[in-house]
Amino acid sequence: MIGPGRVRLARGEGPWPWLAAGSVALSLLLLVGLLTLLAVRGMGHFWPSPLTLVTLEDGRQLAGQAVREERLPDSAGRERLYLTANRDLEGDIWTWVAVAEIAEESRPRDLVVLERTRWGSFQGRLLALESDEGRVEGEAAWAALETRLETLATLRAERDRLRDEVVMPLVRRLERDSGAEAELAHANARIRELQARISGGMLLLESVDGRRIEQPLEQVLRAWRPNAMSPPQKLAAWASGVWRFLSEGPRAANTAGGVWPAIFGTVLMVLLMSVVVTPFGVLAAIYLNEVAHQGRLTRLVRIAVRNLAGVPSIVYGVFGLGVFVYGIGGSLDEWFFTDQLPSPTFGTGGLLWASLTLALLTLPVVIVATEEGLARVPDHQREGALALGATRVEMLTRVVLPMTAPAMLTGVILAVARAAGEVAPLMLVGVAKLAPQVPVDGEFPFLHLERKFMHLGYHIYDVAFHGGDVEAALPLVYATALLLVLVILVLNLTAIFLRHHLRARHGALPRR
Amino acid sequence: MSVVSSPRLAAGNSIIDFDPASCCLEIEGLTLAYGGSPALRELTLRVPRQRVTAFIGPSGCGKSTLLRALNRLHDLNDEVRLSGSIRLEGQDIHGPEVEVAELRRRVGMVFQAPNPFPMSIYDNVAFGLRLQGGIRKRQLDDIVEWALESAALWDEVKDRLKSSAWALSGGQQQRLVIARTLAVRPEVLLLDEPASALDPISTLKIEELIRNLKSQLTLVLVTHNMQQAARVSDYTAFLQEGELVEYGTTDTLFTNPRLARTENYITGRMA
Amino acid sequence: MIDPLPPRVEPRHQWRRRLRDRLATLLITAGGVGVVVAVLAIGIFLALEVAPLFLDAGSGVGWRELWQPRWQPGTLPGESPLYGLQPLAWGTLKAAFWALLFAVPLALGAAIHSALYMPPRLRSRLKPTLELMEAMPGVVVGFVAGLVLAPWVERHLAGALALVAVLPAGMLLAGLAWTRLPAAWRHRLPQGWAGLWLMPWLALLVATALWLSPWLERLLFGGDLRGWLEAHLGLGYASRNALIVGLAMGFAVIPGIYALAEDALSGVPASLGEGAQALGATRWQSLWKVVLPAAAPGVFSAVMIGAGRAMGETMIVLMASGNTALMTLSPLEGMRSMAATIAIELPEAVPGGVHYRLLFLAALTLFVFTFLVNTLAEVVRARLRHRYRRLGGMA
Repeated sequence: MIGPGRVRLARGEGPWPWLAAGSVALSLLLLVGLLTLLAVRGMGHFWPSPLTLVTLEDGRQLAGQAVREERLPDSAGRERLYLTANRDLEGDIWTWVAVAEIAEESRPRDLVVLERTRWGSFQGRLLALESDEGRVEGEAAWAALETRLETLATLRAERDRLRDEVVMPLVRRLERDSGAEAELAHANARIRELQARISGGMLLLESVDGRRIEQPLEQVLRAWRPNAMSPPQKLAAWASGVWRFLSEGPRAANTAGGVWPAIFGTVLMVLLMSVVVTPFGVLAAIYLNEVAHQGRLTRLVRIAVRNLAGVPSIVYGVFGLGVFVYGIGGSLDEWFFTDQLPSPTFGTGGLLWASLTLALLTLPVVIVATEEGLARVPDHQREGALALGATRVEMLTRVVLPMTAPAMLTGVILAVARAAGEVAPLMLVGVAKLAPQVPVDGEFPFLHLERKFMHLGYHIYDVAFHGGDVEAALPLVYATALLLVLVILVLNLTAIFLRHHLRARHGALPRR
Repeated sequence: MSVVSSPRLAAGNSIIDFDPASCCLEIEGLTLAYGGSPALRELTLRVPRQRVTAFIGPSGCGKSTLLRALNRLHDLNDEVRLSGSIRLEGQDIHGPEVEVAELRRRVGMVFQAPNPFPMSIYDNVAFGLRLQGGIRKRQLDDIVEWALESAALWDEVKDRLKSSAWALSGGQQQRLVIARTLAVRPEVLLLDEPASALDPISTLKIEELIRNLKSQLTLVLVTHNMQQAARVSDYTAFLQEGELVEYGTTDTLFTNPRLARTENYITGRMA
Repeated sequence: MIDPLPPRVEPRHQWRRRLRDRLATLLITAGGVGVVVAVLAIGIFLALEVAPLFLDAGSGVGWRELWQPRWQPGTLPGESPLYGLQPLAWGTLKAAFWALLFAVPLALGAAIHSALYMPPRLRSRLKPTLELMEAMPGVVVGFVAGLVLAPWVERHLAGALALVAVLPAGMLLAGLAWTRLPAAWRHRLPQGWAGLWLMPWLALLVATALWLSPWLERLLFGGDLRGWLEAHLGLGYASRNALIVGLAMGFAVIPGIYALAEDALSGVPASLGEGAQALGATRWQSLWKVVLPAAAPGVFSAVMIGAGRAMGETMIVLMASGNTALMTLSPLEGMRSMAATIAIELPEAVPGGVHYRLLFLAALTLFVFTFLVNTLAEVVRARLRHRYRRLGGMA
């Protein structure tokens, strides 16, 4: 090995080695830069940013969050992009303002932001709240709004729970046989009653340039006054924002809301994949290392398996589409689901095919890691077991495999990390931009292998490239990307740690 | 308990011969090759029951290869070609009715480097017994204690049977391996340079153990160390380049070798 | 003496153990052979799916049709399909070329620095860090490249191009300054750790270059570099172009090339390099004259594997290239690679149709190419290891 050696006089070497040192620095800088970008933008999205009231030279006013600044195309000045929301008033949520035209900037404490189910957010002032109990104005209106929103949240949760857990199963049961009509009617009545309590109430709002709108209260999800919030309040709002992102489903064509179905889909798919890949990968590795005749053929097969790790993932996707989806899936449909044809059941992309495709893709990872672990077990351990009268399988299961367990685990973790980040093959074998049904529910057989599913990686691609307003969806994409990267980083770090631990424990050299 | 009948040594013959009835292992015309190159050529010798027999010879003379052939460890290696016969108590060990796992239980082996399994001391000793199955916990405890006592290790480890075997010293590990092998009650114990990786005191303990064990089973010892062979063995075989050169009582072989080759080797080494 | 023996436990269920051993061995063999066959069947399956294309005379696709300069799958109404694979192959090669142009110098530089100069402890930390870089999902890198980097570079083209000159110059400058430092300072900033302490300096350079670039652009190109390029060199500018793809995909292939090249370099027996240094060569000279020539096959195979990875990478190209099937040399315009085409078009292609089979052909091409490249690299590496062992043994 060429070590760093003694610190020899570097003067004679000239400056060229510094290009090499610089490449290390630059590579690290790129990695750090990417991670920082994702962390800052991904986490920052949930922080309630202050709302600026901008007064222009000509007296016009607008309220918005500054997003970025750019040079004006023709003249020397700069212009600034504000997120001004209020799509129902403006037709757009973005406003460009020339910096030179800004006369005054302030942050009044009474500016509110409303998150609504229609038209996106509203930014402006709250004038009054009208409800059955009468009309309140000013500060009192804000307090009343806060309590009312809390009530609304509980009512909505109750309604959604009823719909998902009572009504939907009943409806599905009715599709097959009758008998639950009364129950269903009762549940529906309860939902209608809740709905009635949710609706009602009106907000009188005013944008900063003086236009007034009436906002039905039932469309308002949340309200906050960013300029009046204290840092602890902001932190709490940030935490609840992160939680909603992780626990809720997407809204508004994936540009708002959370990514829970995508997290669920990713995890489920990866779990299924590891259930398939672990036994087969380990079996193949044991076969290659312990059972097969160690000749030229085995060596060739071993190299071939290793090389499959370098085959592009899209090729596995093509294979999965051709063999699993059209081949096996098509045949399954012809044999068992003829009543559904021509609409395919298994003959289209789905959870099962995606898991199998990714299992095939990650097989080399598991095989190689397990083989390395097996090679690390010293031969005298094997001979020791055999000399005590163990059969080969007893030797393997009682001595060799327990010693190989960390290596296998490393392999599976690396496989999971790889699979969690792969998107290209999924585009061919079963991912969906918006899956109406999660692949797991209370209906027999509970796990629906033929359904399509959402995936974090594909969610990023879809929202970033097929969404309507990319600029508006961007913060969410950042957050999703950060989440995906975090998951993969944690998995990889675990694998690295395990491997390191393993090397420290068995200092023995591999046999090959 | 049968006793070895007095060995006959024909005049002019350098190979001692035993009455087959008093022999535990009979090797006849054994030739063994790795790939193309032969490691043992036409080897014929008999190993008497309940005695210590030592194989000595220069490195690469085939003595370890011979030892490994006695419990068919070469089965693991696809490149080994073997002809001739080995009989254990009159039964060909390569015969179709012989189960290799059972053969290896009957012919235990201790290797050059101590190789305890990465489990507790107790589990190491119980390993072979558990493989046989159908054994009660109480019985298992008794046999583990007996095996550790037989290997002169009980007093040192009785308080930490549950701790890892890898925490023991090298000498203790080697005695643990012997205990582990004794626990399955082998008829023959093969020792492949069992003390070469150990310090002098551990070596003495192992040698004492070997002498004690011969009342119970047949021992075959491969060693580089000729003093060791002289100290512990009853009979010694000298191998060179895969051939058996001389085989006799240890006393005769070391003090009055019949062949010049043997004498050269012994004096060269002993000097 | 040994104590009296406890009664020998008669082994039971021997036949059961034997049966279990036979069955389990059979299972392992069946599973192992099955998995290996299934995995190796990928290539065969792809070939079988492609075969009718050429065997079937009625498919209307021959070598001549495939060698057209237009790829037009006919998915738009009223468009007759044209299946020229040329632009796709071109796009794949172009993307890989720019990625390698960016990644190879960086990865090899990093490998040289860490193999020759870094203290072993630091090196053992750097390797897993760069492994993390490799683990970055392509979709995230592609997103950042296509949606963040591309618009940004479009606005700051002059600054971005200036970095190509500024960064190496800054590195050399740092080296020059370091040799002029007093010994105490040099001790505190050891050369082996330069990979770390150069980072803030480079970050500073990047910031400065970007800050100065508008001024530079105004001075040299009349304030509009893109317009200048268009007018003087006739280069059109697409926001998502080969440079962006090269940068993003370069990021993805750096770690792979680095790891293999570092293995090759640090595996060179120390006696070789030391021999040269004993004759008065500096470390850098012994690198060029002795170590690099000895490790050249390994470094070559590292680059080959990087090329394989770059050819097959899908998401980055898909998201950062614009996916226009153009055949231009210009690095400022986009392209469409085979992998991205498969990802976009295969879900819509009719199974068994010409379009479907052609996309399978593209997949087969990628498969065969990467498989061959990897095998070649593996063989080269095996030879190299053998040679090192001999050289190390002789010394």
